[in-house]
Amino acid sequence: MNKEGTLYTVAFIFIVSFAFVFLLSMTNQATIERVRLNEEVARQRAVLSAMGVEATTVDEIRGEFGRIAADEEQGLFARRVDDRTVYAKEFSGAGVWGLITGFLTVTADLEEFVGIEIVDDNETPGLGGRINEPWFKEQFEGQRIPDDGIRVRAGHADPEAGIVDGITGATGTSNAMQAIINRTVEQFRSPDIRARLEELAGQLASGGEV
Amino acid sequence: MSDVDTRPGAILKNNLWTSNPIFMQVLGICSALAVTNLLTNTAIMTIGVTFVTGFSNLTVSLMKKFMPRKVRMMVQTLIIAFYVIIVDIVLKAYLPEISRNLGPYVGLIITNCIIMGRAEAFAQSNDPIPSLWDGVTSGLGYMGVLMVIAVFRELLGFGTLFGYQILPDAFVPWTIMVMPPSAFFLLGIIIWAGKTAMNREGAPA
Repeated sequence: MNKEGTLYTVAFIFIVSFAFVFLLSMTNQATIERVRLNEEVARQRAVLSAMGVEATTVDEIRGEFGRIAADEEQGLFARRVDDRTVYAKEFSGAGVWGLITGFLTVTADLEEFVGIEIVDDNETPGLGGRINEPWFKEQFEGQRIPDDGIRVRAGHADPEAGIVDGITGATGTSNAMQAIINRTVEQFRSPDIRARLEELAGQLASGGEV
Repeated sequence: MSDVDTRPGAILKNNLWTSNPIFMQVLGICSALAVTNLLTNTAIMTIGVTFVTGFSNLTVSLMKKFMPRKVRMMVQTLIIAFYVIIVDIVLKAYLPEISRNLGPYVGLIITNCIIMGRAEAFAQSNDPIPSLWDGVTSGLGYMGVLMVIAVFRELLGFGTLFGYQILPDAFVPWTIMVMPPSAFFLLGIIIWAGKTAMNREGAPA
């Protein structure tokens, strides 16, 4: 058979493509469940971390997450932590280079932040990317929520006045975080979300899981 | 291709030093800029590239007898893409954190010129085992240079190596080291140092 002929070439490409794609789909099928679980666990860990609950192993994460009343569709979560009810909400908003997503947790009375966790961002590594560092996130633990929102200002941290420390050299990211957090707080205050969260908190009380 | 020395030792020396893909051929430098600010990411990325170069070379060499000339590039790309997707799937399933850090760069291994270059220049005209070895050593040549760049970038940019704090807290990180331009400077310096050393050795530069 002529190796350079059209028929051979077409048949060759067809068979080769089929074989490789077949092997790939087999591999994909074999690992798809694992990949999905990894993503789910990463998300659950982020929610727990935003609520200030430590959990490292997969079993711990699953166990702790089981004590949360969740509305996955709206990204709303309620749980009792240290005798208080806390609410977490998934957020996403524009950063400097791309979307910043994560979870923000507040107390049920919306008086204080409980914590924040960043799930994904595309900020400049070493500058805006430092929003992932513990010192930045820890500032929100127990920070009072002022009526007109918090401010993120590098070098001017003043918890009493609702000003948290931003990142020097990353004013864009600091401003973006300020806008995203304040918008998320507004959403917490909206009657619909409030009602849904109270409903979730009600499930906690009646579910006996806590 | 009769002038190519296919003894394992010669291939090793060639790919790691005399015609190192990065600093002699200046191939595959896009990823040299992108994934060298943290050593762990660099290590995983370059292991991925080494795996892909090795096995795509092996596969191309095994299939070369059946391959029509005019579609050989298409088939090579298909083979490379196949191995890259395997790497991507394995990272997603077993090393999700690293997969997240590397983001789109794993997929972009497909476009790494070293892999296509070795498939076309070596595997297409040599036996499977030397081809596998050539691919692996090319990958190691790439790894060597990237790891050197990453050591400097992570140490000066974050004060850490493999995530462990090395420099004292008082050290002020050089932000430039974390950003892509620093890889250009470092790569330039490495090419300079490498070529100078080679000239001293008397090897053809």
